[in-house]
Amino acid sequence: MYAFQYHKAKSLNEAGDILGKDEEARPLSGGMTLIPTLKQRLAQPTQLVDIAGLAELAGVENKNGVLTIGAATRHADVAASKVVQQAIPALACLAAGIGDPQVRNRGTLGGSVANNDPAADYPSAVLALNAKVITNRREIAADDYFQGMFTTALEPGELIVRIAFPLPKAAAYCKFPHPASGYAMAGVFIADTAQGVRVAVTGAGASGVFRWAEAEKALAKGISAAAIEKLTLAADDCNEDIHGTREYRAQLVKVMATRAAAALSGKKLHGQDHIEG
Amino acid sequence: MAKITLKVNGEQHSAEVEDRTLLANFLRDELKLTGTHVGCDTSQCGACTVHVDGRAVKSCTMLVAQAEGCEVVTIEGLAKNGRLHPAQAAFTECHALQCGFCTPGMIMTTAALIKDHPQPTDEQIVYGLEGNLCRCTGYLNIVKAVKRAAELQGK
Amino acid sequence: MPAQLRPHAAVDGAGICVMLIAIPTEEKACRSPGRLAVRVNIMDQHHHHFEVGGAHLSRLEDLRLIKGEGCYSADWNLPNQVHAAFLRADRAHAKIVSISTAAARKAKGVLGVFTGEDAVKAGYVKPLSFLTFAGKDGKKANISERPALTADRVRFVGDLVAMVVAETALQAQDALELIEVEYQDLPVVVSPRAAVAPGAPLLHDNVPGNLAFEQEAGDAAAVDAAFAKAAHVTKLRLDVTRVAPNPMEPRACAVAFDAGSGKFTIHSPVQGINMMRMQLAAYTGVADDRIDVVARDVGGGFGQRSIGYPEYVALMLAAKSLGRPVKWVSSRSEGFMSDSHGRANYIDGELALDRDGTFLGMRIDWIADLGAYLHPAGPVSPMRNPVTCLNGVYKTQALFGRWRVVLTNTAPVSAYRGAARPEIAFAIERLVDEAAAQMNIDPAEIRRRNFIPTDAFPYKTPTGSVYDIADFHGVLDKAMKLADVAGFPKRRAESEKRGMIRGLGFSTVIENSGAGMFPKDEARLEVHADGTVTAYSVSHSQGQGHETTFAQIIGDGLGISAERVKLRQGIGEQGLIGNHTGGSRTIVGAGTVCHIAAKKLVEVATPMAAEQLGCEPSQVAYAHGEFKSTASNKKITLGELAAKKPLTVTGEGKFGSTFPNGCHVAEIEIDPQTGVTEVLSYVTVDDCGTVINHTIVEGQMHGAVAQGWGQIFTENVVYDPDTGQLLTGSFMDYAMPKAGWIKDIQIAEHTTFGTISPLGVKGMGESGCTASLAALTNAVMNALRPMGVPPPDMPLTAHKLWQAISAAKKGK
Repeated sequence: MYAFQYHKAKSLNEAGDILGKDEEARPLSGGMTLIPTLKQRLAQPTQLVDIAGLAELAGVENKNGVLTIGAATRHADVAASKVVQQAIPALACLAAGIGDPQVRNRGTLGGSVANNDPAADYPSAVLALNAKVITNRREIAADDYFQGMFTTALEPGELIVRIAFPLPKAAAYCKFPHPASGYAMAGVFIADTAQGVRVAVTGAGASGVFRWAEAEKALAKGISAAAIEKLTLAADDCNEDIHGTREYRAQLVKVMATRAAAALSGKKLHGQDHIEG
Repeated sequence: MAKITLKVNGEQHSAEVEDRTLLANFLRDELKLTGTHVGCDTSQCGACTVHVDGRAVKSCTMLVAQAEGCEVVTIEGLAKNGRLHPAQAAFTECHALQCGFCTPGMIMTTAALIKDHPQPTDEQIVYGLEGNLCRCTGYLNIVKAVKRAAELQGK
Repeated sequence: MPAQLRPHAAVDGAGICVMLIAIPTEEKACRSPGRLAVRVNIMDQHHHHFEVGGAHLSRLEDLRLIKGEGCYSADWNLPNQVHAAFLRADRAHAKIVSISTAAARKAKGVLGVFTGEDAVKAGYVKPLSFLTFAGKDGKKANISERPALTADRVRFVGDLVAMVVAETALQAQDALELIEVEYQDLPVVVSPRAAVAPGAPLLHDNVPGNLAFEQEAGDAAAVDAAFAKAAHVTKLRLDVTRVAPNPMEPRACAVAFDAGSGKFTIHSPVQGINMMRMQLAAYTGVADDRIDVVARDVGGGFGQRSIGYPEYVALMLAAKSLGRPVKWVSSRSEGFMSDSHGRANYIDGELALDRDGTFLGMRIDWIADLGAYLHPAGPVSPMRNPVTCLNGVYKTQALFGRWRVVLTNTAPVSAYRGAARPEIAFAIERLVDEAAAQMNIDPAEIRRRNFIPTDAFPYKTPTGSVYDIADFHGVLDKAMKLADVAGFPKRRAESEKRGMIRGLGFSTVIENSGAGMFPKDEARLEVHADGTVTAYSVSHSQGQGHETTFAQIIGDGLGISAERVKLRQGIGEQGLIGNHTGGSRTIVGAGTVCHIAAKKLVEVATPMAAEQLGCEPSQVAYAHGEFKSTASNKKITLGELAAKKPLTVTGEGKFGSTFPNGCHVAEIEIDPQTGVTEVLSYVTVDDCGTVINHTIVEGQMHGAVAQGWGQIFTENVVYDPDTGQLLTGSFMDYAMPKAGWIKDIQIAEHTTFGTISPLGVKGMGESGCTASLAALTNAVMNALRPMGVPPPDMPLTAHKLWQAISAAKKGK
């Protein structure tokens, strides 16, 4: 990596200050994305501001129908949290499937959502559950937050403090992992929320995580695998690389959505992927 | 440059290193603990796995600065009082190593896995090993070794 | 426990040491007529565990490895060392117009910057090539120079352009970015079929048509005649993709130069120090005895380690020039670009059969993609190995093949576990399976009709190999039974009910092992006063467990426990001659000479003992480390003898080829919705001759089958066909097998004792690859054929299978 200065932030204010003054400074949370990026010399920050230890970014709380998780909460801790498991089991299950055990011990919710990797798992949960991204400056609704691959509504120096997930009636997540990287080739999060059924897709979209409107409409009349089976996702909306054509990804989205829907409707289908309801 | 202080295998260490120094390189180059291996540069192979404050992490994906004030345990620190850790004993008993390069990372992951899951199912073992690659063994004996390690731990 | 005669060494007409021991009653061993029965029932009881600090040590080398005390190449730190980093080509084919190193030289900590000019000046320009034999029309290979740092043009992404040496590794990497290279881009060719076609971009001026070598083998006329009268011809494209061996230890090398003695000391991974030293000597012109290669633990090899890479030679240049030891540690991404790749053999095959499925003849056209430059042994494997087993396990008489060594703008290719034997086995077994399906003959039955019969050994093949001994019928029958092939139709129906597609496939294969390129193999034994023995060998383990198996062989030969034998590998000062570990030959060569050395030790020590015991040598009886006089009750141990006079012997031997073989059966299930294949069952029945250590043999089989699985289902090195950019440059894109992807492998042995070694061993390190490529592919084809899916190309990824299934469904 290129040389940089490392600084452990003493408070959220201090972190915001440093990042606000130096536009080449970057926040460091779990580092599971940033450090590999730096090792490949794909970025050259002047300084790294370590925010992972900030008290303001810690905590898991289920109150008044909203599950709030601090941005610096490690994936392993979300997965193991009894509070999360009881409030939104699909979210705990999603966290349990991110990367691998060592990555889960370091990676954080805030880091993942701030980065918005088009194949990351959390964005689909945030979008499907209609969560609120709460930063050190404002609250951003999920529908406004994700703006394309690696692009979010966050402004320079703005830091995610916590994410508030309204409790759904039910939710499920199903992902088809990439055989090499383990990222989602297609991950579908279905949530039966107060605003209706929301279906968010990660891994396959040409512009990052997106809501599958057709599926939401079909499931509005009742969640079932059969409802999804009648649909086709337009391949044009999917991305393509040496690991799969658009058509294949569209197919995977459909299969993952079907299995998630089946889980929600109480049926179990065969499959080798994560499934939780 | 930064001055960092941390505990490694029970011993306190202080050093001045470049900020960009990875924990893996600090352990290998500064402390000469070469049992922790570097097998890739995309944080996937797990050969560099150590314990930081009781959690299995990839030391190649951590700055040593991030480990300031932490307690690190490497493969060299696993055996206690001349007795091998159940994970170490199980690996040799089950022929779960051939060239030995991935082995320290595998054993560190196993030690953490059986602590979290004292009676791991096959599924838990397979998920638990997702962050560790091996080219020699084909993994079958490694899975057996994790099970055996849990048994030995229970004794 | 079977009865045992006193071991008696005798030499038969072929000069091979033969042991006469009673036939083990539990083994149904096969006799070869006209030869003395060769049986050695020694090893089974030595597969044992013993305790150390509460653990049961499965192998003697394990203790240091599980404690993190192994010593791999990056673990060496030489006093006063400096660090090197390499600048590599970012494009696949371009002339180097200029390199500007001034800024890099001034960077912090930099001690030197080297380019191709320096390599040429030093004369480090021509790697060794083992492709020295003549091919078609008596022509020898067109071999290009390859300066240790590229001088004229870059020919693949990752080609070496410059080297920076600095006080720290980070400083060296930082300085790389300050080097400016001006390139003039040239057209790129990645596909070997395209590279050898007229009008393709030319990689080397002295290799017209990018065709470095061509050979033919077999009898073209006989094959033409066979095809002319055939009732059926099966034709297939049988491309075996390029993969990356990817041992878990990245390459690393540290070189020290002593100006006083003119000696280089090189610390690098090896598969044998002699093989490495020989190549570095040739590349640099430095005398063999001025190069010392040092290696301790090697983190996996698979054929990738036996190469004297240009990086190592460039480091020699730097060490000599700067007068300080220079160390380099490769990153994995760097390795993906520049470590040797494997396989990349593109085969078109045809099989001619008569009405009842008898094989009349086989014809293959084989293009070996060797990359941009020839590695020393890279082209030799695909030229030599397939010819030795061109008929596979069958009595097919008419065989013909054409082989071409082709150069492309990709990383150089060399041997990878199996070294072209998996490829020829794949070609033959796919043709056989496809023919069976096309002719509606049971795939097991068609094989039985064509097997070389069990009583026909030794069997001379049409291409001149002599298969020593085998029992193909026995191997197949055992495998079919273990895999419950008879019950498959029922299991298939059950899968169908769940909407899944089930398939079963197998392969019956054979490969050559044993013969090596060095004049002989040697092992040296040194007895110590405490009765322990140190053994020296130059065949270097990269995970195969030599410290245990050699100790077992020597311990058995001396009647002492294996724990009292310590193997030391890679000690150059011992000056031993011997082959590297590769080609599954170590147990046959190096292992056997350990046995020979042990026997020689007793022979040599007997008169010494007689002198001490005051009797005639004929009155001395040896057993379990002790010599006893039959005349008196005096005795003396090996250790006590060694305390009086140095007791060291060297055993040697030269071995021809032997032929391990086996049958693997794979049963798989494909999810048509995603194309994912799950291996439900994998059965191996292998004849590797005598088994010294069952656990180690199983481990080797697991690992090799996993590599075959990876090649078939997920692994593939992919270059962009237009730009030559490497698209699979890290573990993010190159899918390595992970835990749980194969749930179980059943391993069974079917032994016929090899006849070229007194141990009866044949070797088996690569057998898992040789058999699995075809077994797994045949299983997938068995699943998909009923749907009318044409054979898809390797790798059979989920994506590809889903596409094939969807297309077939639409076609209906």
